[in-house]
Amino acid sequence: MRLSYLWLGIHSMKFVRIAGPAALPLAVLIILFKPPSAHAHAVCGNRVFPATLVMDDPGVSDELSLPTITYQPIPATGGNPSGRTVDYGFEIDKNITQDLGIAINDDYLIQHGAGQNALHGWDNVTLTLKDKFLCIEPLELMMSMGIVHEFAGTGSGQLRSAGAIDSVGNTAPTWYVGKGLGDYPIGMFRPLALTGELGYQISDTPSQSPNEWDYSASLQYSIPYLEQHIKAIDMPDFMKHLMPLVEVSMSSPDRGYTTGTIAPGLIYLGNTFQVGAEALIPANRATRQSQGTGFIVQFHLFTDDLLYDTPIGRPLIDRNLWQ
Amino acid sequence: MTRHIPAIIAFATAALVSVAAMAHAFLDHALPAVGATVAQAPTEVTLWFTQALEPAFTGCAVTDATGQRVDTGQVTIDAKDPQELHVPLKALPPGDYKVSWHALSVDTHRTVGDFSFTVGR
Repeated sequence: MRLSYLWLGIHSMKFVRIAGPAALPLAVLIILFKPPSAHAHAVCGNRVFPATLVMDDPGVSDELSLPTITYQPIPATGGNPSGRTVDYGFEIDKNITQDLGIAINDDYLIQHGAGQNALHGWDNVTLTLKDKFLCIEPLELMMSMGIVHEFAGTGSGQLRSAGAIDSVGNTAPTWYVGKGLGDYPIGMFRPLALTGELGYQISDTPSQSPNEWDYSASLQYSIPYLEQHIKAIDMPDFMKHLMPLVEVSMSSPDRGYTTGTIAPGLIYLGNTFQVGAEALIPANRATRQSQGTGFIVQFHLFTDDLLYDTPIGRPLIDRNLWQ
Repeated sequence: MTRHIPAIIAFATAALVSVAAMAHAFLDHALPAVGATVAQAPTEVTLWFTQALEPAFTGCAVTDATGQRVDTGQVTIDAKDPQELHVPLKALPPGDYKVSWHALSVDTHRTVGDFSFTVGR
């Protein structure tokens, strides 16, 4: 989904013809920061891996992200005025079995400024099939494999014509991992957890849109873990639900520049929902050329808890493929 | 259409949140407290969970530093509060103890957890 400048050099030409020279940074921004796919929370032993906002977590579950709102400023460049994009995303995660899940996500994109008329419409639909094949509870180690596919042609014709969304689909085999440090000997470090995601995005038409590596990592500190497993500390109840974290998400296309974001933020983990907010900071010079620092906020519902007695909140086949 | 998006999202979210909800049973707090050092040996460990528990699939073991069980094995869920678990203990000498619990909430989510406490020397 995140494309290189070379790709943009080819595909933004139509957009530039329609919307003018200032459209190029807009197109870069839109494509770089489309919401990622398949968020879910996951439990392995003592560890709860929350639904991270920029990258995916290592598990599968029945969940709903509604909404994920992303705001990105567009810097003024080359005499063109600045602008902004606001993106309203959603995602539905449904377990087929206890370990195999499917997710569908899309987003409604609104773009203002940079001297252009407003653009708005739906992005392409993305579908994820993901299997959690490993959970070693004493090690708080979880892994999943997934296939992510973006369906070209399912989004707004206006946006596609403007070059603001992909006109070429892609498929990305992706590996997910999460490791809690609960087995670490120093108590105050045990609430820490690392998660990672590595995928190779294969374009439907590589001559038009290059393949690329997508790789992300997060470092999380769980106050709930501290309270439940290490040391109960007298603090306001609100703080006992907080998880400060930082996510780093990068993309390296076969042709073009590596781009990405660093996203520090905070998640409030409730019993049946979570709320998260993170800053979106350009990770390198190539990214800074097309975007300023923005933010992402998300309200996320655990439908496996909210609707546990309905087919929406339970696996369609209530068994584990690996047991 | 654009101007109505926030309202549509708010309505859908409110409709879902208004559904009566259950959730995974996580530890809310405990007595002795998680990680605490107590001067006098407790006669039981009491655990309070975030959800009501299924008695048949909920349990707890307390072990000393050598791994020996020091609870009596008579774990009970409180008659008045289905979120409260009582774990009677044998007489505890000073030392470090580990509480390992497993729970099944009434919505059938399984959770596990452990923590330690110390009886002062």
